Amino acid sequence: MEKYTLIVTEKPDAAQRIAEALDFNSQPKRIEENNVPYFHARRDKPLVIVPALGHLYTVVQEGGRRNYYPVFNFKWAPRYVAEKSATHIKTWIDVISKLADDADTFIDACDYDIEGALIGYTLLKYACGNKENIATRMKYSTLTKTELEKSFIEQMPHLDFGMIEAGRARHEVDWLYGINISRALTIAAKRFSGRYATLSTGRVQGPTLRFLVARERSIKTFVPTPYWSILAEVEIQGAKYLVDYEKKIITRKADADAVVAACLRKTGTIEKVEEKTFQIAPPTPFDLGSLESEAYYLFGYTPRRTNDIAEHLYLEALISYPRTSSQKLPPTINYKAILNGLSREPPYNESASELLRQEPLRPREGIKEDPAHPAIYPTGNRPKRKLDVAERRVWDLIARRFMAVFGEPAVKQSIKATIKVNGHHFYLQGRRTLKEGWMKHYKPYMRTEEILLPPIKQGETVQLTRIAREDKFTKPLPRYNPSSLLKRMEREGIGTKATRADIIETLYKRRYITGESIEVTDLGFTVIEVLHQYAQPVISVKLTRDLEEKMERIQNNKEKREKILEATVNRLRPVLNELKKQETTIGETLSNALKRARMQERTIGECPNCYTGKLMILFSRRTRKRFIGCTNYFTKTCKTSFPLPQQGIVKPTGRMCRSCGWPLLFVHLHGRRPWNLCFNPACPKKEERRKLLEMRGLQQRSSNTTIQ
Amino acid sequence: MKCVVCSREAQTQPSSKYCELHQKAYENLLKKFETWEKAFNIQWNKYLKEVAKNPLTGIWAKEVAENIVSGKE
Repeated sequence: MEKYTLIVTEKPDAAQRIAEALDFNSQPKRIEENNVPYFHARRDKPLVIVPALGHLYTVVQEGGRRNYYPVFNFKWAPRYVAEKSATHIKTWIDVISKLADDADTFIDACDYDIEGALIGYTLLKYACGNKENIATRMKYSTLTKTELEKSFIEQMPHLDFGMIEAGRARHEVDWLYGINISRALTIAAKRFSGRYATLSTGRVQGPTLRFLVARERSIKTFVPTPYWSILAEVEIQGAKYLVDYEKKIITRKADADAVVAACLRKTGTIEKVEEKTFQIAPPTPFDLGSLESEAYYLFGYTPRRTNDIAEHLYLEALISYPRTSSQKLPPTINYKAILNGLSREPPYNESASELLRQEPLRPREGIKEDPAHPAIYPTGNRPKRKLDVAERRVWDLIARRFMAVFGEPAVKQSIKATIKVNGHHFYLQGRRTLKEGWMKHYKPYMRTEEILLPPIKQGETVQLTRIAREDKFTKPLPRYNPSSLLKRMEREGIGTKATRADIIETLYKRRYITGESIEVTDLGFTVIEVLHQYAQPVISVKLTRDLEEKMERIQNNKEKREKILEATVNRLRPVLNELKKQETTIGETLSNALKRARMQERTIGECPNCYTGKLMILFSRRTRKRFIGCTNYFTKTCKTSFPLPQQGIVKPTGRMCRSCGWPLLFVHLHGRRPWNLCFNPACPKKEERRKLLEMRGLQQRSSNTTIQ
Repeated sequence: MKCVVCSREAQTQPSSKYCELHQKAYENLLKKFETWEKAFNIQWNKYLKEVAKNPLTGIWAKEVAENIVSGKE
């Protein structure tokens, strides 16, 4: 058999795109072996393009028992060794190994970032049999035919070993932290209570939970401060405008009342009119963090969701590689070609055509750089299928942002008139756009407000039509949401653009946090308390940030991976010894928190009959059936109970029925859409629905009779 | 010793009848009293009642205020 070049990619979609781009006729042959797809492409030499499924190899413990710590011996092994659910990985690796036997040259075409570098390296080393040193590297930022062909022709002569070492270090250090501390917590709780529950933490997870706990503490211990402000309105040329009092905050009620008394039903004079014209520069191109924030703000998508959508759009060659921290758009991406492509889409035609007439085309760039990829940009390709609403929105956002960065600065005018009323000053503020500039291209996503004022002159008299005192209180800091938390992690330099969204998801999964406006649970508090007391370095932001910097140094070949691993083990050893010494105390604290968390998950709310007990999801010892019962049943003072569906998931929502005010339950039966259940048998809504169904039944019967 | 508000251990250093979390809330209550006093010319007990019914007050501060007002401490 003729020898071929084996190209390894990160995912099946990318393999198909690469195969189509490199095949002379753009029609590669798709072959499937044991459900593993790969492609034969014809070029001057035959090519076989085979995908991975993300990471096929992972760090595992080398020898020893599972329920034990500390563990410092590890090795890289196929994922199915560590994860029970990854059995399909074995077939995948077998197919790649078989294909590698007949190949004489190897190309790594995984995404050009740390994770991609590591996926390609482990495949070439372990599945292909130590081919990492002879393999070459394709580097690309979009999956378009032009760029893929170019990256194939201009291959890098070898793999990026700096990036690979940084990737290995990250995975190995994270494994050392995660496995040891998580095992210490889980084992402590299990030994004390006899019940198993996964309690995890990690190098990034710990400090992230710590931010959340700090914010939650400040909210829960918050005491508001009273203050007052003045609400006033003036009439100018028949129209009414709100005006600001000179002091935004008045700390004494009596002072606020004095201002109202002095200005009530008085006329004022315009003392001064100030006009200012200023420019607003175009926005910078999207890096992953800013795209995630904008999508959360505009559409309410979690960072993880935006990440997934962007990944789909990238795999369909509609946008460039999204996991970038760059805010730069180099001219090599060919601005004109992209704008030409966009101009073929009706919604972008006008903006793109206008920009194409602009000379020279120069984007406004941010300061952040990424050596591997430029900022996120649309490729100019048109979608080959109908995008769903979410995909369309994210694509539209990226396309419009791309056009906006080439736009001219917007010009705005602000007007501030100072009105003097009986010795007190009020300000009337106006704002208007003089020149739209880049805002025209980014219009649906603009958040500016125009306040148009009539022509006003100094010395003019105005009537104060309304004045009142407003009673106010200071508010606590807002809770983090997934987007603001992501920004904070980015600002603190912990985690990477690729891992931050997953870490937030893990915190939810472990029940350390809950809700979209993130609230830390009792369990989350306890975990941080324990770590703070016995394993402080694990939640130190500084330490995590230092480690991130060291990883970057490894990437630039300025630091050795082995040195960082050694330092990690030396740092972990005393922490783990302390955790072991305090195992019983820690076990008790965590078990109690877990117990409270389990109780909380089953508590529905106040009993509507006795008002002193709590309604809970209980199980009958006799029938083993699930029902809602009052906690006062055990003291024989209340017999309130309600039936529940016996199958599926049932849990409290924390919300009340809009119709009757009783607590709502979340019910999810297998194969059915989840719904919120009001268990009040006398809920007016239930009665309404019953009547409606009866009416429909009657109508049905009468129409059947007519047909007969 | 347990915290007088919740079931957590009371803070030992410095010694307190509250756990670390409720102690922090108590300190905030003390700190803010001065501002409330100036603003409304209000007494300590009335202040605690006002704070307890304010929807912006944090749950732990509320619990401490209610606990002091009810005289359970």
